[in-house]
Amino acid sequence: MLLAQVLLNGVLLGGLYALMAMGLALVWGVLNIVNLAHGAFIMLGAYVTYFLFTKAHLDPFLALPFTALVLFCLGYGLQRGLLNLVIRSPMFNTLLITFGLEVVLTFLAQTAFSADFRTINPDYAGANFELAGLTVPQVQLAAFVVATGLSIGLWAFLLRSRPGRSIRAVSQNLLAAQLQGIEPRRIYALTFGLGTALAGVAGGLYGTVSQINPYIGASLTAKSFVIAIIGGLDNPLGVIVGGIFLGTAELLTALYIGPTYTEVASFGILVLVLLVKPTGLLGRTT
Amino acid sequence: MTAPLLCVQALQAGYGEMIVLKEVSLEVYPAEIVALVGSNGAGKTTLLRALSHLLPWQGNVIFDGQSLQDVPTHRLLTRGMVQVPEGRQLFDRMSVEENLLLGTLPDISRPRLQQHLEQCYQLFPVLAERRRQLAGNLSGGEQQMCAVARALMSGPRLVMIDEMSLGLAPVAVDRLLDTLQAIRTQGITVLLVEQDVHAALHVADRAYVLESGHIVRTGSAAALADDPEVQRAYLGL
Repeated sequence: MLLAQVLLNGVLLGGLYALMAMGLALVWGVLNIVNLAHGAFIMLGAYVTYFLFTKAHLDPFLALPFTALVLFCLGYGLQRGLLNLVIRSPMFNTLLITFGLEVVLTFLAQTAFSADFRTINPDYAGANFELAGLTVPQVQLAAFVVATGLSIGLWAFLLRSRPGRSIRAVSQNLLAAQLQGIEPRRIYALTFGLGTALAGVAGGLYGTVSQINPYIGASLTAKSFVIAIIGGLDNPLGVIVGGIFLGTAELLTALYIGPTYTEVASFGILVLVLLVKPTGLLGRTT
Repeated sequence: MTAPLLCVQALQAGYGEMIVLKEVSLEVYPAEIVALVGSNGAGKTTLLRALSHLLPWQGNVIFDGQSLQDVPTHRLLTRGMVQVPEGRQLFDRMSVEENLLLGTLPDISRPRLQQHLEQCYQLFPVLAERRRQLAGNLSGGEQQMCAVARALMSGPRLVMIDEMSLGLAPVAVDRLLDTLQAIRTQGITVLLVEQDVHAALHVADRAYVLESGHIVRTGSAAALADDPEVQRAYLGL
């Protein structure tokens, strides 16, 4: 029973993890930028949601579309103004500039919001219900539903819509995309904006299930990175699998080995995946 | 006499310090098939890359009466000009139909889109059979058909095709050359860059011979095919 409960918690946590990683994987796959500031955008999303909840008294889940919009605009602008400078340049440059961005964003957040721990605490925060003998925490379940819904939404968007198809076109063949009338700079900004919007929503959800402070970004970037590698960059569904895999693996490690070993488990899995199937669990084998 | 659809005057282009095209001038009239032939390294692909503004150039390029000086690559499609690049450059991990959908203009209406799709499938029935297959899994000839069809999806006035026959079986080349004749009868103008001079002169109305970045000969395709110099240099006669 304890095992089943831990597995359930792991799956619920994994949905949120997947959403965190999704924006990172999208930007990585299309722009070839490993965005080290991704966690900082998650952090900012958490704060935006926090202030919408505390100052505007908006339910955190209803605040998410606004959070997404704010973070989308921020990401779109940053891509057009700053990151376009390093597009298609060696990976070292992109790592350097996004690392710098993460430092700046974290410092600004610390200045503006102070280093205090905060939580987004709606009155239903601790609510749960029983299902087949298992305790299902409601907020975590809602976060899971939003996360998987968005993942599937993103998948459908990339597959079916014209902008989604253009994003894939640019990532598959830049030359042909240009010749077919697609402006790469717009697609890059759109993609990066989507990535930060997803990070923002993930941050808002993270704030409802966990404490936030200006420094949560770096470790969340690392987690997102691991999940993106496990899931592969081709397919948003791979990221869901990667997220759930990591979520359950972490909680199982905490249960059977010890809570201090969760990071060992996640990065151990990363190394194993890179050794055995470097394109990701659902990635193409070619 | 009608005005040329594409008029290139004293075009100079290259890669950085290296100037590949020196003062190239040519004209393409509506509904013509014009071949641009020459040996490897003559600058044929560079010319097409420059015309699509993938390279910076100097000189004058006038399309449909308007200068293309400040028109970036992605805006050429709406002007009515499209390039089928060397090596097909399909979106390999998308289906044939998705490749075709990406060829359309952004503001196309649904019925118009369906009409364009049907025209392409009529032109290349094999693409209709393979519409759900990944473009990367097609044979070379089918891929070239898909690339030409994708270019036609925008309803262009000028199609520039780079090395259409490269690496294809002769039967596939013949099939594609027939298609060029067919689209020309619909009023679409074709600028064909070819290494296979024989095939190019067979299908074209007129041709230009490019050598080391200069146009060295021009005339009707038939006249060029009979030109002893051209025969010796390019036709192996």
